[in-house]
Amino acid sequence: MPITIESPSLPSAREGRSMNRPGSILANGKMQVTCSKIGCMPPLVSIRSLDFAYGASPVLRNLDLTVEAGSTMGVIGPNGGGKTTLVKLLTGRLQPTKGSILIDGMRPLDAVRRGDRIGYLPQNPRVDANFPINVRQTITLGLAGKAGMLRGYDRSDLAYAQSLMERLGVAELADEPIGSLSGGQLQRVLIARALVAKPKLLVLDEPTTGIDVRGQKAFIEFIAAIKEELHLTVVFVSHDLRAVTSMSDRIACLNVSLHYHDVPQHLPADLVYRMFACDLEAAGIKSTAGPLTGPFLPLVGK
Amino acid sequence: MLQHLLTPAALTASSLAIACAVLSVFVVLRRWSFIGEGISHSTFGGAGTAWLLALLFPALEQSNVPYVTLLVLLFSFGTAMVIGALTRRQRVHPDAAIGIFLVSSLAWGFLAQGIYFHVRHSVPAGWDAFLFGRIDDLSPQFAAAVAVLSGVVVCVVWVLWKELVYCAFDADMAETSGVRAGVIHYLLLGLLAMVVVLGVQIAGSVLIPALLILPGTIALLISRKLSRVFVVAILAGLAGALGGLLSHLRWNFLPIGPAIVLTLFVIFIVTWIVRRFSMPTT
Repeated sequence: MPITIESPSLPSAREGRSMNRPGSILANGKMQVTCSKIGCMPPLVSIRSLDFAYGASPVLRNLDLTVEAGSTMGVIGPNGGGKTTLVKLLTGRLQPTKGSILIDGMRPLDAVRRGDRIGYLPQNPRVDANFPINVRQTITLGLAGKAGMLRGYDRSDLAYAQSLMERLGVAELADEPIGSLSGGQLQRVLIARALVAKPKLLVLDEPTTGIDVRGQKAFIEFIAAIKEELHLTVVFVSHDLRAVTSMSDRIACLNVSLHYHDVPQHLPADLVYRMFACDLEAAGIKSTAGPLTGPFLPLVGK
Repeated sequence: MLQHLLTPAALTASSLAIACAVLSVFVVLRRWSFIGEGISHSTFGGAGTAWLLALLFPALEQSNVPYVTLLVLLFSFGTAMVIGALTRRQRVHPDAAIGIFLVSSLAWGFLAQGIYFHVRHSVPAGWDAFLFGRIDDLSPQFAAAVAVLSGVVVCVVWVLWKELVYCAFDADMAETSGVRAGVIHYLLLGLLAMVVVLGVQIAGSVLIPALLILPGTIALLISRKLSRVFVVAILAGLAGALGGLLSHLRWNFLPIGPAIVLTLFVIFIVTWIVRRFSMPTT
């Protein structure tokens, strides 16, 4: 269930005051966003006045969000807050009820059909362990949309697939059946599949779930390196605040509406607490009296 | 024996076996066995409608118009597309939807057959052949047509190999990677409908689903390499078809459809036993 976030320590949008951060305004509506530290790059992702509802149930309301080209946007929020719906909208699997999404100047569905604009790593990949396919075939399937019907794969794309396998440490597993892989190995194969078409936008849905700390560190380092190499823009949806704040240039706190959209360093602890309070209560953890106030969350990384 | 293998019957059975075997791999991987059943039994609905039309327009039976085949084709394609729409968007649970079409088509076909029998005091022409298949009097032209259409099936699968495999492996991710998963979904169902209509002539509407399930199942018992799976499925399908054909020719009281299916079943059992007790997957 969505919760309404009210905090006496935070100014409301209607007051029009900033939170002592240059140019950003905490709001439940439209939001003015400053240029990030990577400079004023044009947005690769532009979301305007977005609403989405399943029937009569609103899931996303009046969302305004931009993701600058070459940046990493972390999206956090409680269960039911609309993160997965946002991912489905970005990957063209759902259409907005109202408003617009543009990715590289195209509707998400058009961007997806190009085959080389969006790479996607799903949260719970459905992999049939008995399917008669090996690692190399799984990765090169990521080129199917780019190659198009009635055409084979480009040799340079196949060479890039091989190089990705080597970088991700799965080249030796190339001929192994997909069902024989461990969880970590499978994750790396699916990352390779998401990147093999050299997309412009990479959408990661809970990518560090089920991975140990060492694996998470390696994953974050890999994404940072590949992002530089491919000039990727990354949208990273996660519950893992540590991973999100360490990777992201900007964070969006999403709970039906957008409650924060700025750099991680200025993310108020009080806001995060309130955003996840319903999850804590659902887990039987009673909230402390009153909201957290005072210092911001100690953040890892930037 | 060689002369039997060079007849229209053998060419028809072999061509059909190859087309069914290729599609059966996707049917088994996509867990579409029940869909194959639904499409094949929809041919009853088509045939039943044709028989009732023959009662209303007796000239149809005397004409050369293949009205039964046309209506069977219409029903098969129509059912395939409706099942496709329901299974793609999951607005109705797929199993329930297929079950509804399956039993309704069967009921309609038997009802029509009953009405025809009541009016004409005989079963419709080709009733037994429709149920269990017939291969004895197939013309060379029909054999050639089956061979051509089976070739079309194999060519389509060859050309759209990566899209068909990706959609069978993970249709959602295929769509997100830019594959037109909806087109592939309906195309595969259309190919199934076409093969079912051809196969009804030989194996009968009751048993044609077996040709769309057993070869793929046998192949997946033997191999976990995709290219080998298709080769094994084709070999299994051919063995079943030719084994059934030879059995029918040797003991011509054995109907061809059951002979083919039981030959495939024996191959499946032997494969399973051997796999279970000795051979690792390759």
